[in-house]
Amino acid sequence: MAQQHPTTQPETAGEQPTPILGQMSIFAAILFVASLISPLFPASLPVPTPVIGIVILYTLLATHILKLRNVEKFADFMISLIAFLFVPAGVQLAASLDILKAQGLQITAVVLIATIVMLVLVSYTAVGLIWLRQHLFHRKSAVEQETTL
Amino acid sequence: MIILAENPNLALWGKWLGDGLGNNADGSTAGNAIFGIFLSLVVYLIGQWLFKISKGFFLFQPLFVGMVLGILVLFLLAKAFGTSTATFYRSAYKPGGDIIFWFLNPATIAFAVPLYRRNDIVKRFWLEIILSLIIGLSLSLLVIYEAAKLIGLDTVGIASMLPQAATTAIAMPISNAIGGVGAVTATACILNSVIIYALGDWLVKFFRIDKDPIGAGLGLGTAGHTVGSAKAVQLGSIQGSMASIAVVIISIVVDLLVPPFASLVGLR
Repeated sequence: MAQQHPTTQPETAGEQPTPILGQMSIFAAILFVASLISPLFPASLPVPTPVIGIVILYTLLATHILKLRNVEKFADFMISLIAFLFVPAGVQLAASLDILKAQGLQITAVVLIATIVMLVLVSYTAVGLIWLRQHLFHRKSAVEQETTL
Repeated sequence: MIILAENPNLALWGKWLGDGLGNNADGSTAGNAIFGIFLSLVVYLIGQWLFKISKGFFLFQPLFVGMVLGILVLFLLAKAFGTSTATFYRSAYKPGGDIIFWFLNPATIAFAVPLYRRNDIVKRFWLEIILSLIIGLSLSLLVIYEAAKLIGLDTVGIASMLPQAATTAIAMPISNAIGGVGAVTATACILNSVIIYALGDWLVKFFRIDKDPIGAGLGLGTAGHTVGSAKAVQLGSIQGSMASIAVVIISIVVDLLVPPFASLVGLR
């Protein structure tokens, strides 16, 4: 794994990953703090708890207050579960079958188009901007070399 | 508090298993979550099994199969109990479904880890990342607006389609604020995830997005939310990191950009 992630700090042999209950507690603490911050945003600019939570955890990692070994195991586990965790969200459509009955086909068509459009336009914009930077400002990027490895 | 006394069958279910509407054997209002949790696991495992024996047929993605089968089971049970699917969903499935749903909170936070793993890319390309999300979303809004108009959605429907790039908790209130229906927008957000989960690999290849890991990650995170990020993590560490940052930033961009866009095109 280590050679895959060059930014991962080299861990000394003595440092064990935090026990899983400890990792869960870190997540719970971050969620708790995030849920206290979330209501402070005005109704016109909602920022939900999980979004604040990502920012907090990323900040803690980037400032080296938390190490990857403190949260990595539980985080990877949760990410591996994400498709299953969305099953209730999908089944929730059972509650809005009426809306779907009325305009379901049109809505599905627009969402399908929207999904593809967002994927393609955001990707192409990023490719274009990075190309611009390399050709206009002659700044080198190592991304291509890294990914061909 | 017997809310569903007019439906003896459903009241019986509540007496027997407990439900989300207060029809419980012990008189408590908390529903018995086991039906929702068990049904979710079973339909998802059937999806995984179908996906395996069909050697990865895209329509048999476990999330998609689980969702369709789950709705079908609730629809049939509701018919058997002589009630509406929505009522049966709320009373029988929701208590368990909500428990699983809650774990999306820590699962979303978990994406800070793949994001941080490629902090080198984030530091080097932060300006390009933010700009491509702002420009990409602005262009997407125009296309979505025109497509929705062309397909024949009314203004309420169009307004409901605009905020779908954000995570559900942001998209719903924005949708209500610009004159849409929150539930329709939430539906769109879920469909985004299901579409990316089922077609993501194919779309990435078809549009040749796989050549650029930064673009692929940002696109998958924007179009597929956290499910798109999980897909991106499988593609590579740069893709995973970029998708994770996209989920956060695109939500803020939707927050700031969609309401002015809606008033610009005269939705409100």
